Amino acid sequence: MAKQPGKAGAVLVLGGGITGIQAALDLAASDVKVYLVERSPSLGGRMAQLDKTFPTMDCAI
Amino acid sequence: MMDAGRHPNIEVLTNSELVRFEGKPGNFTATVRRHPRYVDENLCTGCGQCVHDCPVIVPNEFEVGMGARKAIYSPFPQAVPNTYIIDRENCLNDDFLVCNNCMNSCDRNAVNYDDLGAELRLAVGAVVVATGFDVYNASAIPSYGYGLYDNVLSNIELERVLNASGPTRGHIVRPSDKKVPKKIAFIQCVGSRGEGKEAGCQYCSRYCCMNAVKDCLLVKQHEPDIEELVFFYIDMRAAGRGFEEFYQRSLEMPELTYVRGRPSKILEDAVTKDLMVYVEDVETGQVSRIKVDMAVLSTGAVAGETNNRLAEVLGISLDENKFFEVDPKYGSPLHTSREGVYVCGCAAGINDISDSVSQASGAAAEAEKFVTKSPPAQEVEPAPEMDTSGPPRVGVFLCHCGINIAGVLDVESLKEYAQGIPDVAFVEENLFLCSDEGQRLMQEKIAEHRLNRVVAAACTPRTHEPVFRESCQQIGLNPYLFEMVNVRDQCSWVHTGVPEIATAKARDMIRSGVAKARHLQPLYRKSIPVNQSALVVGGGVGGMAAALELEAQGMKVYLIEQQGRLGGRLINLTRVYPANLSAFELARVMVEKIKASRVEVMTGTEINAISGFVGNFDVATTNGNFKVGTIVLATGADIYKPGDEFSYDRFENVITNQELEDILHDTKGKIDIHGQTPENVVFIQCVGSRSSDTNPGCSRYCCPTTIKQAIRLRESGVNVAVLHRDMRTVGAKAEEHYRHARELGVKFIRFTPERLPRVIGNGKAAERIEVKELALDRILDIPADYVVLAAGMVPNKATTDKLQDILKVPRAADGFFMERHAKLGPVETTTEGVFLAGCVSGPKDIADSLAQGAAAAAKAAAIISHDTVALEPTTCVVRPELCRACGECVGMCDYHAPGLVDKGDGVQVAEINQALCKGCGTCASWCPTGAIVALHFTDEQINSMLDTLLLDRV
Repeated sequence: MAKQPGKAGAVLVLGGGITGIQAALDLAASDVKVYLVERSPSLGGRMAQLDKTFPTMDCAI
Repeated sequence: MMDAGRHPNIEVLTNSELVRFEGKPGNFTATVRRHPRYVDENLCTGCGQCVHDCPVIVPNEFEVGMGARKAIYSPFPQAVPNTYIIDRENCLNDDFLVCNNCMNSCDRNAVNYDDLGAELRLAVGAVVVATGFDVYNASAIPSYGYGLYDNVLSNIELERVLNASGPTRGHIVRPSDKKVPKKIAFIQCVGSRGEGKEAGCQYCSRYCCMNAVKDCLLVKQHEPDIEELVFFYIDMRAAGRGFEEFYQRSLEMPELTYVRGRPSKILEDAVTKDLMVYVEDVETGQVSRIKVDMAVLSTGAVAGETNNRLAEVLGISLDENKFFEVDPKYGSPLHTSREGVYVCGCAAGINDISDSVSQASGAAAEAEKFVTKSPPAQEVEPAPEMDTSGPPRVGVFLCHCGINIAGVLDVESLKEYAQGIPDVAFVEENLFLCSDEGQRLMQEKIAEHRLNRVVAAACTPRTHEPVFRESCQQIGLNPYLFEMVNVRDQCSWVHTGVPEIATAKARDMIRSGVAKARHLQPLYRKSIPVNQSALVVGGGVGGMAAALELEAQGMKVYLIEQQGRLGGRLINLTRVYPANLSAFELARVMVEKIKASRVEVMTGTEINAISGFVGNFDVATTNGNFKVGTIVLATGADIYKPGDEFSYDRFENVITNQELEDILHDTKGKIDIHGQTPENVVFIQCVGSRSSDTNPGCSRYCCPTTIKQAIRLRESGVNVAVLHRDMRTVGAKAEEHYRHARELGVKFIRFTPERLPRVIGNGKAAERIEVKELALDRILDIPADYVVLAAGMVPNKATTDKLQDILKVPRAADGFFMERHAKLGPVETTTEGVFLAGCVSGPKDIADSLAQGAAAAAKAAAIISHDTVALEPTTCVVRPELCRACGECVGMCDYHAPGLVDKGDGVQVAEINQALCKGCGTCASWCPTGAIVALHFTDEQINSMLDTLLLDRV
């Protein structure tokens, strides 16, 4: 895509849980630069704490 | 998580927070404060030596305090980044004491006690707020004794207990005596749906019902001897895709008893630490005390504690529950009160994982409109390809992985051993092969020793193969000449106690890796051009949202609608909850926007055929043919037709909620049905839903719709009764509306599917309804001028049959299209390049359909914003000279990759479409003549591994 004047080249995503990661990956897949900011020392959020997810019982991490 | 950490377009800033924010959409300046980590991310390899040497032990937050960690730690084993962090509050190194253990143990000098952090100023075009929720602190409800009684756990604590890497290694024991509990109580709505002072939030936390049902099944799986699980609840809210079916399965568990009622208190036996749960079963009216060994509280979700501050920094508003407020005028759940700032998931209220994921993709689509996209980061000119002809010269690189491998395996002896394997030209070992230094060393040695095959004996290819392949590519060695042997997970980790045997196994694995490497062939990723346009099928809310988002990103969009007009079902509705927006107005604005845009709208059009694959679909319609690169299916669903259920066909005054909506649509203010204001209206829920005869799932939209209609009628003075099985308040503010309806005097009466209400009437009119009141154990006789059936959603059979036939998108047992993954891929399908939006994948409300429309647009844009799509070369190919055109491969492939092609003179051979093939190898293993070869996993490669494993064992 042509460079559009007057627009920054990145998106700020606040929160590194499942939703933040998903939004960041979708933006990145469309060639958008992403700053993924997470308050805690690691990505993962709540979902990383869960054991399995219903109804597929897939591993949550 | 790993993907985000590795993506070249994503810069991960952990331990950081937004402190200042100014500017306009498209041009914001965000100041992010990176708090000190005291460990350099670029130097730390995550070896864990520092943790071993740290003397301080504190409770681990990740294990909700049930496990322990050191003062220098990694939050959990799979953390991204895998950099350690020092918790300075607990670290011994303060102004007076010096411990320095971690600094001294680190070989790479990554520890820096003087780290001050940093402040970064970032130019961004848009913001996505995805800060999630906090867990309600159950100790605020003293009557349940959480925090006082040892054996009262929260649901998050139970999750950690169930986890194999958790504090009890997956064994369920009660905290007081470490014994396996025989009887466990699950208590729902702790901190949710609160009444009164000490009861927490008024809304429904949505995730807890299904989470607790899942935990019941898992508890049974972990401890088969469990005797009884008692589940206390108010309404069973199984409202997502496949959730109702999951709940129904749990009903077959003999150990699980469901009790409808909210316990008033729990008391602990001071000696045995057993618990007594006091509860009134509202179905029987019986008050009882139930003794259990352990209780699990389903703690609800509350707004994040940092929301206040973040809202202030971002300049956006919060709602009354301190979640980020959604601007109601769009009808969509993604817009905050500030343009350019979007919200998704639980930051704006409670959603389950799959809805959160849809919203995240949707928010990404919204944000994309405000940024300039940059070409993918490929600034380095590729190196000229190395000459790899001639006999194999294999290089073997052994990684210590800190102490992960070298702590168990005898790496020195492995090095010596590898040098003796035929065709091995060079062997080297390294402390961390994946580190920058290790990778540079590998590249130098490949060039120096003219290595043309490389084997790394290290960790898992799942995380590190791409790193090593990339390093090979950088110096011109074809990345498919690299082979990885996982001696960490498969040797040192699983055979920690028997180092000699582990080392022997590593020898075998390295030998077989070299054997395969000798036969590796260079492979090349092919790029195929992408047609940069999209087809959206269906002109309802989901389809219109997808088309508008794609168009706003500058894409060419075709929007096809079977009917003569856009707007779908939305145009027939009156008001849309929760903000009471005019549905017609919402639809009108969207239709106007579409008309004013460059979207090519084709109404009254049907699809005849679609062929091709991702990037290159040929579409034939009743209105002309065209090519697109991606397809969004948004064809919606049908409303169930009740037939003779509840005498719908017989009595004129038994109508569906859709028919009532039409009536309310035409009446302003006063409720007037056929010239008369009704005195008594009775709703019956779950008609055509939650039933194995019709739709086994929950239709989600009907409870909130009934509540909305009941409030409208009640406000006009009508007596309203709602007969239901569970009231399921899915969607923003729905629980609050339910409460409001009860306050207005709408009567909610529960029935069971075994004893349905009876509609009784005369001639052509229903007159009254008989329903059994469960707690009173009495038949109620309710007069009814109108009976409204809450008819569920069913798949539109003709459309879905046809689309399934054309596009091979699979459907679930309920007849709706199936998502790629129920949680993580709600708008994707297993057919690459084909996406789903709205009710085509199961019932949804307007807000969810809008979010999914945007989400599907984000996914589609990711494909068609590029000129080409690269194909993975590890696919199957046919050697035509061996093919006898039996067609076995054509029938067995799930991806429709093989096909028989006419070669003239009546000769046919199979050909495999590389764009469709996933390289699974099923056809190659089956092919009777051996004509099909799975590249990178050829018979020659696999056989050479087996030969050396079985014949050369030392």
